Amino acid sequence: MNFSSLNLPVIKLLVAKDWLLFQKQLAACVLAGIVALCLIGMATGWSFYLGSLLLIIVLVSASCFSISTSLLVERKEHTLAFVMSLPVTPLDYYLAKLVGSLVTFLVPFLVMLAGTMLVILFTPLPDGLVVLSLLIFGHVLLAYTVSLSVAMAVESEGWNIFAMISSMVLINPFIMLLGQLPAISDHVKTDTIVFGPVVVSILLGQLVVGVAVLIATGWVHCRKKSFY
Amino acid sequence: MSRWLYGTELGGYTVYMKYAQIDPGLFLSVSDSTPMYQQIVNQITTKVMAGDWPAGQPLPSIRELASASRVSVITVKRAYAELGQAGVIVTRHGMGSFVAESRDLSTTLLRAEFTKHFDAMLASARRLGLSAEDIRRLLDEQADWSADSTEGSTP
Amino acid sequence: MTTAFSLSGVTKRYENFALRDIDLSMPEGQVMGLVGVNGAGKTTLLRILSGLALADAGAVEVLGHAMPAQQVAAKKDLGFATEDMRLFKTRTLRWHMDFVRAIYPGWDEAYATELLRRFDLRAEQTMTGYSHGQRVKALLMLNFARRPRLLLLDEPTTGLDPVARDEVLEALADVLRDEARSVIFSSHNTKDIEQMADTITFVHDGALLASREKEAFLDDWRRIVCLGAWLPDKIAWPEIAAARQNGSILELKVRQFSDGLLKRLQAKGVEIRSTEPMSLEDIFVTTVRAGGVA
Repeated sequence: MNFSSLNLPVIKLLVAKDWLLFQKQLAACVLAGIVALCLIGMATGWSFYLGSLLLIIVLVSASCFSISTSLLVERKEHTLAFVMSLPVTPLDYYLAKLVGSLVTFLVPFLVMLAGTMLVILFTPLPDGLVVLSLLIFGHVLLAYTVSLSVAMAVESEGWNIFAMISSMVLINPFIMLLGQLPAISDHVKTDTIVFGPVVVSILLGQLVVGVAVLIATGWVHCRKKSFY
Repeated sequence: MSRWLYGTELGGYTVYMKYAQIDPGLFLSVSDSTPMYQQIVNQITTKVMAGDWPAGQPLPSIRELASASRVSVITVKRAYAELGQAGVIVTRHGMGSFVAESRDLSTTLLRAEFTKHFDAMLASARRLGLSAEDIRRLLDEQADWSADSTEGSTP
Repeated sequence: MTTAFSLSGVTKRYENFALRDIDLSMPEGQVMGLVGVNGAGKTTLLRILSGLALADAGAVEVLGHAMPAQQVAAKKDLGFATEDMRLFKTRTLRWHMDFVRAIYPGWDEAYATELLRRFDLRAEQTMTGYSHGQRVKALLMLNFARRPRLLLLDEPTTGLDPVARDEVLEALADVLRDEARSVIFSSHNTKDIEQMADTITFVHDGALLASREKEAFLDDWRRIVCLGAWLPDKIAWPEIAAARQNGSILELKVRQFSDGLLKRLQAKGVEIRSTEPMSLEDIFVTTVRAGGVA
């Protein structure tokens, strides 16, 4: 893989193209996300659960839409051949897709993350929730990288849907597991934000695994023998 | 219509002659059973005989003609080669092709046409198994027939 | 003389099909026509040249660049359009034109505008509204307008109405003017190849049957109608590709015509009625039916 010969101008154009194609879904996600945050902020029992459910749905949708727009639709609509006929290497394409997908996902993701932090800190909600929500967001990001990698590696729509759904559905057991950890459950309902070693290692683990998955997929992608 | 200025050597001096720019597009038909190169040869020959392309007129480049007539370059090359052999055009190395400067060009062309038909007739006769005697007899019959009509006969 | 492309010993294996040991090259400034039945390997060949598929074995060189190692350099001067290629549905043709123009310095906006007019395309329309023919023309226009040195076209006129086909051939003829530009295209409209190609390449069942100069190739084939109650033995007469008999009428399709052949036929007691050249379509069908020996 020759990093010095990357075709940056074309990569930029491809990323801009993916961003452009994603606008409608982006608007919908951000809108729904704001509604979710409002519900969470109201801090009553039912609104909190409804809001957090909606928030997770928004994050999952953002994840699926961004992968779908940048990769799956491109494959189904056969525009991949057009893109690969441009002066790009498979590595250029992979990076463009990676950056494009990440950008289209990270924008709503970070907006939601920031919004959630703000809502937790500036409303009657216990500040200890910050740690738990960060871990959940971390999981969503990890699930996203896995789904993205599967989408890049495999063409079967079935496998892609399976990867997206199963990685997201794992949120439930994950949250329950987190609830069992004393490092978290002790502080969740309080106003203290504690980043103990357990929490930090989980967060780091999520990050490392996510990055590793992306690099491995990139390596596999560049060895592909055919592009359709 | 723009005019080309063309220089030719004449007694040590360069004489510039004005030639109208040729419209390079020939009218070729895919459905015509005549091979493409032959259609080109025929049409250019016709244009020369009709005076569209006067003696000395520079011919369109092979590529120009190919592009304008929508036919492959190799076909035009073959047509030009045949025209060169028939004496209709001359190709000067590095300068392109020109309509031949021959006073008797018309006659030369008609003679070439005659030779072609004659050879074809002979080949046909051979296949039929006719002898030279048979051919001579047929000619005599033909001569008798044409003597009766006011115009020359056409087969 | 520069080569537009060259393939040596190229092999590509798929699950149900394989392109085997292809040796093919073309000097620049020429037009090559690929003829073959569906699934013969024409599209695979073009994909390998374009860098969309990687050969399992052999060397591929396009415009002097080794593929796929130098594919970016090659693709800068390459035009590629296939039947199953699609543009972005939600974007307009204008958007695609701007997109391509930003990538290729060779984009000729004036020529693009002229092609829009000739092809009767509306630039401000999104691609969803485009019919099949318009889509093909749009894709070709995006390629033609940047004047690439080598054009790889897979079935550029297939499925087009006669008017659209005429327009595409006219645009293709523009390329002929430049001696540094080359084209290789596959087509089921053998008339297109017969008209525009300098070289005809026959692909059959993953192998190269023949690759020859068009004029010489077409000259070699004849359809001979004769009288005679005789059917040739295929082995003794390798020049004869096909023979049909109806009573005393014998029709021969010959792949290696010569006066000598006529004499030999006559020696067999066959009376020659007519000899005529064959269309490329006829040659193609005859070759495939004869078991793929060109």
